[in-house]
Amino acid sequence: MSTELEKIKGRVMDKIHEGKVKMKPRWYFIVGSVLTLIGLTLSITTSVFFVGLIRFTLRSHGMMREYRIGQMIINFPWWTLIFALLTLTLGIWLIKKYDFSYKINPWHIIIGFILAVIIAGWTIDVIGINDTLSKRGPMKNTMRWYIKEKNVSPTPLFKK
Amino acid sequence: MNEELTDEQIVVKTISEDKEYFAMIIDRYEEKLLRYANYLIKDEYKAVDVVQESFIKAYSNLNGFTPTKKFSSWIYRIVHNQSMNIIKKYLKETPIPENFDLKSDENIEEEFEKKEIINMVKLCLNQIPLIYSEPLTLFYIDEKSYEEISDILQIPMGTVATRISRAKLLMKKLCQQN
Repeated sequence: MSTELEKIKGRVMDKIHEGKVKMKPRWYFIVGSVLTLIGLTLSITTSVFFVGLIRFTLRSHGMMREYRIGQMIINFPWWTLIFALLTLTLGIWLIKKYDFSYKINPWHIIIGFILAVIIAGWTIDVIGINDTLSKRGPMKNTMRWYIKEKNVSPTPLFKK
Repeated sequence: MNEELTDEQIVVKTISEDKEYFAMIIDRYEEKLLRYANYLIKDEYKAVDVVQESFIKAYSNLNGFTPTKKFSSWIYRIVHNQSMNIIKKYLKETPIPENFDLKSDENIEEEFEKKEIINMVKLCLNQIPLIYSEPLTLFYIDEKSYEEISDILQIPMGTVATRISRAKLLMKKLCQQN
């Protein structure tokens, strides 16, 4: 086995000397970390927004929603659900790929992440940030397009 | 002089001064890593490839290593990941090669006894699931602390303790049966 060990050292060092193996520059890791952080932030923001939008849709059907369930299923913006799930998956993938879950059970992080997104989306809708977003903010155009396209009211027709 | 340098200092020197310093890292770790990889994949030749690839991977990602953390945990983690890739790829059990490790100057009888014990322990170890046997091996054979095992396997320290304790119970049960 000692000859094998000698070979390992020789082969690795030969590859380094010949330039077949090169050290990745420091900026590569800095850019990677920055992009990961941006990706994670965007995925959280986007999934929170879409969870809020889903709740907003359900709320905008008011008290008659039980009678219009079929219509609601047809009109429901399934793409928002798919988008929310996609961004959630991206966030979870980023968490698992990099060391955010270092020494913490990854399942706790994933469950916490999903719960945080759902609670944040629900809170945003309850405190009326969605209404504000429909007037200004980065998602203004999406909200306006959605309200116009689906012909929904930003506030429920019949409040309890 | 070089012997006094810590692994982390050698890494800094490899990056900033001379890539030749990396040979020192290989000298320090190749034997330990080879034993660890061989334990995981149970194939001497594949273990050599895994360790070689791990050193190459470590060298090319050396700038991504944080010198304030433990290098030993980092390199063990790379070998763990590489070995898991091989295990997933081949998904088959291969026999443990004879005469693989532990050089000793002791007499033949003691050597034989030692080998017998090692073989028995290996036999028991191979019968328990990898999630239990791996932390046990790292703790007793590679002499890693709970904290280092936690870093290598990326599991909480409490889980490391639980798995080692369960592994010991399983070992006791299996070794007594044998």
